[in-house]
Amino acid sequence: MTLVLAWNNVRTNRMGFAASFAAVVLAVMLVGGSGLVVVGAATRAELNGIMGLLVLSAVVSGFVSIFVVAGILSLHVLRQRRTWALLRSVGMTPRQVSRLITAEALVVAVLANVAGCVLAVPYAALMAAFMQMTGLAPGGVPVKVTTGPFIVALVVGLAVTLLAARVAARKAVGVGPLEVLRDSAVQRRLLPWPRAVAGGAALAGGAVLLWLVPQVKLKSAAPTALGATMVLCVGASALGPVAVRGMGWLLGAVAARLDPGAGMLARSSLVAQPRRAMSAASPVMLTVALACTFLFAVETTDAAAGVTRTGPSVWVAPMLVGSAVVYTVISVLNSTAMTMAERAGEIRLLRTVGTKPQQLARAVCWETLIVTCAGTLLGTGIAAASLAMLGKAETGELRFAYSLPQYAGLVLICTLSGLAGGLAATRRARHGALLPD
Amino acid sequence: MVDHAVLLEEVTRTYGKGATEVAALRRVSIGFPRGSFTAVMGPSGSGKSTLLQCASGLDRPDSGAVRIAGQDITRFGENELAVLRRDQVGVIFQAFNLVPSLTAWQNVILPSSLARRRPDPSRVRELLHRVGLAGREGHRPAQLSGGQQQRVAIARALLGRPEVLFADEPTGALDRRTGHEVLALLREAVDAFGQTVVMVTHDPEAAAQADRVLLLTDGRIVEVLDRPSADQIGMRLGGRR
Repeated sequence: MTLVLAWNNVRTNRMGFAASFAAVVLAVMLVGGSGLVVVGAATRAELNGIMGLLVLSAVVSGFVSIFVVAGILSLHVLRQRRTWALLRSVGMTPRQVSRLITAEALVVAVLANVAGCVLAVPYAALMAAFMQMTGLAPGGVPVKVTTGPFIVALVVGLAVTLLAARVAARKAVGVGPLEVLRDSAVQRRLLPWPRAVAGGAALAGGAVLLWLVPQVKLKSAAPTALGATMVLCVGASALGPVAVRGMGWLLGAVAARLDPGAGMLARSSLVAQPRRAMSAASPVMLTVALACTFLFAVETTDAAAGVTRTGPSVWVAPMLVGSAVVYTVISVLNSTAMTMAERAGEIRLLRTVGTKPQQLARAVCWETLIVTCAGTLLGTGIAAASLAMLGKAETGELRFAYSLPQYAGLVLICTLSGLAGGLAATRRARHGALLPD
Repeated sequence: MVDHAVLLEEVTRTYGKGATEVAALRRVSIGFPRGSFTAVMGPSGSGKSTLLQCASGLDRPDSGAVRIAGQDITRFGENELAVLRRDQVGVIFQAFNLVPSLTAWQNVILPSSLARRRPDPSRVRELLHRVGLAGREGHRPAQLSGGQQQRVAIARALLGRPEVLFADEPTGALDRRTGHEVLALLREAVDAFGQTVVMVTHDPEAAAQADRVLLLTDGRIVEVLDRPSADQIGMRLGGRR
């Protein structure tokens, strides 16, 4: 029975399902593919020099996969709270609902894992070709299909999907059926205690790692800085709603000044729903923080060692972190679309009280811009902290090398994909028939 | 010559195409005089909600004209319709009338804010007081009961002094007592402010508050009752079932 319900749930909620499915497929592909490349490179002695870089980029891929899949899945489960409440009200126990959610996640996970594993092989071949082209591995990387990376990818894919679903399920069934039906998106507490404690602990751990960067051996300084960035990202995304509410209030006030009607709508929705805003801001933060740390750590290390890269080898670092960035950018689009899609009713209502189509589009844009801006600020702060400590390790000064065009490009890509996701997801509500459904 | 706030001329609205085609309104012509309270009744599927949606500009008829303050709104583009909704038409649905992230006060002044106007705060306060929400200005919809939410929606509709106020089953989600209070507010809007109100309902007691009741069946107005009692309405409805 549970499986039948789960299967039907997946079928009737295609959009959320597609988003989660895509996230898991890409995650498994990234992890499996990077694994295949690392294993392949390990067989060649001349590739020893770049093993460190390869492993680091694989770890970054793994980290963003876990982060993004967990985020999308919990968003997906929480968005269906009305369904869960309805099932509770016809007599399902919280345990059964929780099992249903897990079963649904299992359907997604199994299908997506298979697809991801299949895609991992061409992805690894592509990576190897790129490495050969850019001169990172002039002799090429032999990509052989071995079971190891697949097992890692499968375990990571399944475990993360199921774990994220269980955590989200606990939250979803933790509230009574009536409470949910009364209002689908009431904010209970901005920062529940477990979240605050976890966030605080992660921030403290990140601070310790930051402090360690200049203390450890020079060779491990860059990986430690990257680790600090990851841990700080976890902390910031746990404590994010508070920060986003503050920034939403401030930036929203500016928007409301520039564009009274639409800006006011954007601000009020950010201030009233900072957690929803954070789920869209957090992939932006992750992209900016990780990509900047990775790219500019290579640049800082090169500068300290007096290396100047020319020709195709300039593209080595961007290429290695590129697929992880593509992945997070997709998830920016994904989560903006998901957070906006649930607002169709609200948008129609705004139209019935006389909001012009242009005004609505501007309200969506303002909100997305503010969210992206908040994510960018958080991510930049985290990356700057890690890079400054890395600079201290390399040169003794709290300075680091960076490339403004690369940074601007990154922010631009995040902003554009956020805007695209937001506008596309609200298109039907903004232009379609205006009848209450 | 009666002064009509809203005038429908030969309005037809059809849903679907081919074999599944359903005519929701068939050449309906009716005027709603300024300062009157009209209830629209009929069995489900009779076209009463479609009538309200076409008359308020939420939906476009396939043919015919809808005149509000003399202008044919079926020719309006989206922008003109938006301005019409801000200034000349108020709509209240059965539920979900308020933007969840805005407070009661902000919801009331929303149409003015969208038009970049600053309504007189003392008038907003007076309206909220009048609908029984003094002291709740800062509450969000989630902190208000269903009846209170409907009152905020009524206050919002009244603030702009619209040509006409449409209500689609405004008491459908409320208990009897709260429903009566909301109806009394609509009645008061007609009597005290000279507001024009058009309300769709299936409840004879609610309809008995109106000056006039239209009975719809199969997309046509089959009967018009002037100042009927709830019993009379019930009998007419019963006779048609």
